[in-house]
Amino acid sequence: MQTSTLILVLLVLSAVAWQLGRARAVRVAGGPRRKRELHSLPSYYGLLTAIWCGLPALAVVVGWHLLDDHIIQGLVVGAMPAEVQALEPGRLSLVINDVRNVIAGNVSADAVAPAVAAAAATWSRLESLSRLGATGLAFAVALAGGWFTLRRITPALRARNQVERVIERVLMGCSLIAILTTIGIVLSVLWESLQFFRMVPVTEFVFGTQWSPQLAIRADQVGSSGAFGAVPLFAGTLLISFIAMLIAVPVGLFSAIYLAEYASRGFRAVAKPTLEVLAGIPTVVYGFFAALTVAPLLRAAGEGIGLEVASESALAAGLVMGIMIIPFVSSLTDDMITAVPQSLRDGSYSLGATRSETIRRVVLRAALPGIVGGVLLAISRAVGETMIVVMAAGLSANLTANPFEAVTTVTVQIVTLLVGDQEFDSPKTLAAFALGLVLFLATLLLNIIALQVVRRYREQYE
Amino acid sequence: MMAETQQPRRTVGDITVPDPVMSCRGVNVRYGDKHAIRDFSLDIAHNEVIAMIGPSGCGKSTLLRCLNRLNDTIPGAVVTGTITLDGQDIYDRRQDVVQLRARVGMVFQKPNPFPKSIYENVAYGPRIHGLAADRAELDEIVQTSLQRAGLWEEVKDRLDQAGTALSGGQQQRLCIARTIAVSPEVILMDEPCSALDPIATARIEDLIDELRQNFTICIVTHSMQQAARVSQRTAYFHLGDLIEVGPTEMIFTNPRHRLTEDYLTGRFG
Amino acid sequence: MNSQATPQAVIDAQARVRGCVERSLRRRYRAEQRFRAYGLGATLAGMLFVGLLFFSLISTGYSVFWQTRVTLDIDFEPEALQAGDYTALVRASLRRLFPDVTGRQNLRELYALVSDGAGFELQDRVLADPGLAGTRASLALLAADDLDQLVKGRLDRELPEGERVISDQQLAWLDELDRQDRVHLRFNRVFFTTGDSREPEQAGVWGAVVGSLLTLAVTLVLSFPIGVAAAVYLEEFAARNRLTDLIEVNINNLAAVPSIVFGLLGLAVFIQFFGVPRSAPLVGGLVLTLMTLPTIIIASRAAIKAVPPSIREAALGMGASQLQMVAHHVLPLALPGMLTGAIIGMARALGESAPLLMIGMVAFIADIPGSFTDPATVLPVQVYLWADSPERAFLERTSGAILVLLAFLLLMNAAAVILRQKFERRW
Repeated sequence: MQTSTLILVLLVLSAVAWQLGRARAVRVAGGPRRKRELHSLPSYYGLLTAIWCGLPALAVVVGWHLLDDHIIQGLVVGAMPAEVQALEPGRLSLVINDVRNVIAGNVSADAVAPAVAAAAATWSRLESLSRLGATGLAFAVALAGGWFTLRRITPALRARNQVERVIERVLMGCSLIAILTTIGIVLSVLWESLQFFRMVPVTEFVFGTQWSPQLAIRADQVGSSGAFGAVPLFAGTLLISFIAMLIAVPVGLFSAIYLAEYASRGFRAVAKPTLEVLAGIPTVVYGFFAALTVAPLLRAAGEGIGLEVASESALAAGLVMGIMIIPFVSSLTDDMITAVPQSLRDGSYSLGATRSETIRRVVLRAALPGIVGGVLLAISRAVGETMIVVMAAGLSANLTANPFEAVTTVTVQIVTLLVGDQEFDSPKTLAAFALGLVLFLATLLLNIIALQVVRRYREQYE
Repeated sequence: MMAETQQPRRTVGDITVPDPVMSCRGVNVRYGDKHAIRDFSLDIAHNEVIAMIGPSGCGKSTLLRCLNRLNDTIPGAVVTGTITLDGQDIYDRRQDVVQLRARVGMVFQKPNPFPKSIYENVAYGPRIHGLAADRAELDEIVQTSLQRAGLWEEVKDRLDQAGTALSGGQQQRLCIARTIAVSPEVILMDEPCSALDPIATARIEDLIDELRQNFTICIVTHSMQQAARVSQRTAYFHLGDLIEVGPTEMIFTNPRHRLTEDYLTGRFG
Repeated sequence: MNSQATPQAVIDAQARVRGCVERSLRRRYRAEQRFRAYGLGATLAGMLFVGLLFFSLISTGYSVFWQTRVTLDIDFEPEALQAGDYTALVRASLRRLFPDVTGRQNLRELYALVSDGAGFELQDRVLADPGLAGTRASLALLAADDLDQLVKGRLDRELPEGERVISDQQLAWLDELDRQDRVHLRFNRVFFTTGDSREPEQAGVWGAVVGSLLTLAVTLVLSFPIGVAAAVYLEEFAARNRLTDLIEVNINNLAAVPSIVFGLLGLAVFIQFFGVPRSAPLVGGLVLTLMTLPTIIIASRAAIKAVPPSIREAALGMGASQLQMVAHHVLPLALPGMLTGAIIGMARALGESAPLLMIGMVAFIADIPGSFTDPATVLPVQVYLWADSPERAFLERTSGAILVLLAFLLLMNAAAVILRQKFERRW
């Protein structure tokens, strides 16, 4: 049975179980008139039966579905000729791909090696067997669960409490997904990174200044080992982020101050939503904007004053990234300065301070920790931003501080290394995960510090 | 609501003094539709402590904020009539609000030290106005101000600590030190003790009495006892009207207006 | 009344302060003006960026709504129909129009005026109406992209021939066609109804729109219930302990993890480990679910927090269980806020592209996806793909696709705003 059909059938079964449980509860109570004898409302007994009928069976189906592909693949490979099994992992995955293609009907069974055809046949057989097994087991679990619960129904059974406990567990399970996600990120990135560091020493990765991950096709080719020194990527990332902050912090800060403290009501009503629009625009649009408008503009401006500006300069990417981050900085600043109590402003005004003196020396001073936290969060965004740099910064790993040259970043390289065919045994693919690990750790650190700072600040005025 | 429709009540008692520091004539304050102060006239003399009492919401704090134009920062507040400082209309175009506020300082209900060190709190005013030529002069201003506010002995060893780390009473004295650091002529105090405990309150009251030698003080208070203790003249407000004004002992012993009497005897408020 | 005199020292000090303030005023008001000007400048700069962004998008993208079509008289010859060679019909018609064109090179240039897609259009017509065989009809057929760009004025015909993609000869033919009133700009139906194509004039956003909708459907179905459940648990049930703290720290951090890292997670876990098909809306939706969950949880918690405790106490006081209190009272009141959060989360997911690049949603896919496991792409990734294409005509399509994307985002944000205004309650 197809998984989706199976799940549907299980749902129907649960509905039936709900009816049965309800009916049985009423019966054990001694008829509809004596429902008060029951500990809980009849529908809770129905719900309990349905839960025990449906949930475990559903878990079986999902678990089975997640694992069966792996197990079948293992079995099929085990059954293949020894010389196939002896292949290195990359080649083996190609063979498995062939097998899959045959099963899917993309390739005729006659057109492939007999071993592959045989494997495909085994695979199909095992797959239908597995489906049968899943269906059988799921039904058995569902029926058993439903039946045992029905048997347990007595007027004294605390059905509502049990149902509520199950639901609470489910709710808790949902909130645990946050932890699972983090664990998933750490494990997946760490695992592949460790494999990478088995091929390329950590020191070379962290301190090397040469980055050219494209491996040679033939082993004897000159320069066959790709170079994995990530320093140019880190430098490029920092350069672009720095340029971005150079735009975003002053513009975001000053526009927030102006809108909060100076602007007339009418001007604010227009300007504030206009600036907020920037926050809703997808990053790919910024990337296109950088490549289409800003880069040529800068290039033309550079030519005008006799400056050589690369068409994929760090400046263009950083500038547009800065524009993207403006609303982030300004909304955080706005939050922070409105959190500063009016009494502090009054205190300053009543000493004869002008408005700007009050803002600079009292309001900003008081809001400083919050703003610093916000800027840290903004840096973490800039470091992790992908589309703008993919579309507007280059691929060449230059180690330079010149904003008019092309540089590349960590995120650009992750994308370049992973888009297209991926082989999970080549350092080229794995390097992306090592870069991902660096990115994750760096942003994690920034976020933790920033959130801590911001929270302290909030507590101060609450 | 009723008061809105009535005519302003006539003030009982003598509103004038010879050679006043500040003088208000026919002052009206409106916030949108709300008529907060109605036809208010009063003189404030040199080196006196004048107390403003009355039930809450009667417009005392509003009036105080008019005297150094702190109402300017509130959108929708409209002030009419004339208020003069040394004979100059403070709502005049030519009057600079920065200059005015340097001359008419204010202490607030809740102590509001800036999130800076004790030293920087006091040095704030002198710094923005450029009162000190060098660090030594600034040090001296800070020390004198803290001494006058009676805080010096308690904080002289920890001037670089945060002002917000002091106790409530100390914070309020720090705010007073901050205010007198710019040598104002008038100090407005808006219920300066309402957030403090009795001991801290007593210290502030003593301080007010000392400060009277050098400054004119206009204090709004909820506490009649406080008004009786610290002030020489008392003004009684009721729903936006100045009802009665006179020497403090007279107001407390022999009020002439029935509303004043009712308030003082605790019939309402 | 008190009449003691102020000490002379104090009067002097006051006078000195007045003098100092007086002298400092000019400088300070100039500083005030400067500060204010910086603020205004920053605000205007921000608005200028918005203006520039939209100007460049709209000025390059507006023309995508029209498409050049060339009206040709097509003879539906039965033999050609038999052979299924519809392009031949187009070519024959072109030859009839310009009988003096000879030579392979010249003919190829002539044929290049009309898109390859014109043949498919004819095929569709004939399949819809077999009676056409043997008749002659005058049909407006899809022009080639270069011709389209020229007609829209995006190519400069004054350039020397060597720098132009259209030759002098082709220009002359175009003018002749125009003289015969055979060249028209029509509404660009192709753009809104087809999937991607290597030929700009045949490329459309519909495939990407469907891909986006499928992906968002997966995201919504997973992230909304899970997010609400997690928020309910954390706000109403969770005890204050280490685990709860850990969950909170995790949620806050995940909200700030770069989206590309979620792509790595999806690649390693969903595709490598669980074997979910690559490039499919299913895996895209899963990745975006993990990405949007923190947003939805945070928004839902805020909505739950906004329900006043008095309502909870009233329900509990009536003897409701904790769960009944939540289900009957808190959730209905918090629902608008949660929905608003969900819409905003979905809007972000709709605009997201970086993690989807990792899981293979960048493949060239011409077909319109029909299910959650078909290979698909999404709107922002389509934008990325087209932005990378060298053909000039893709420029206008990229901007056009962005305009479509922004229209969807506008719609979603408007819905969120309306929802908030309609149901917002102040307690």
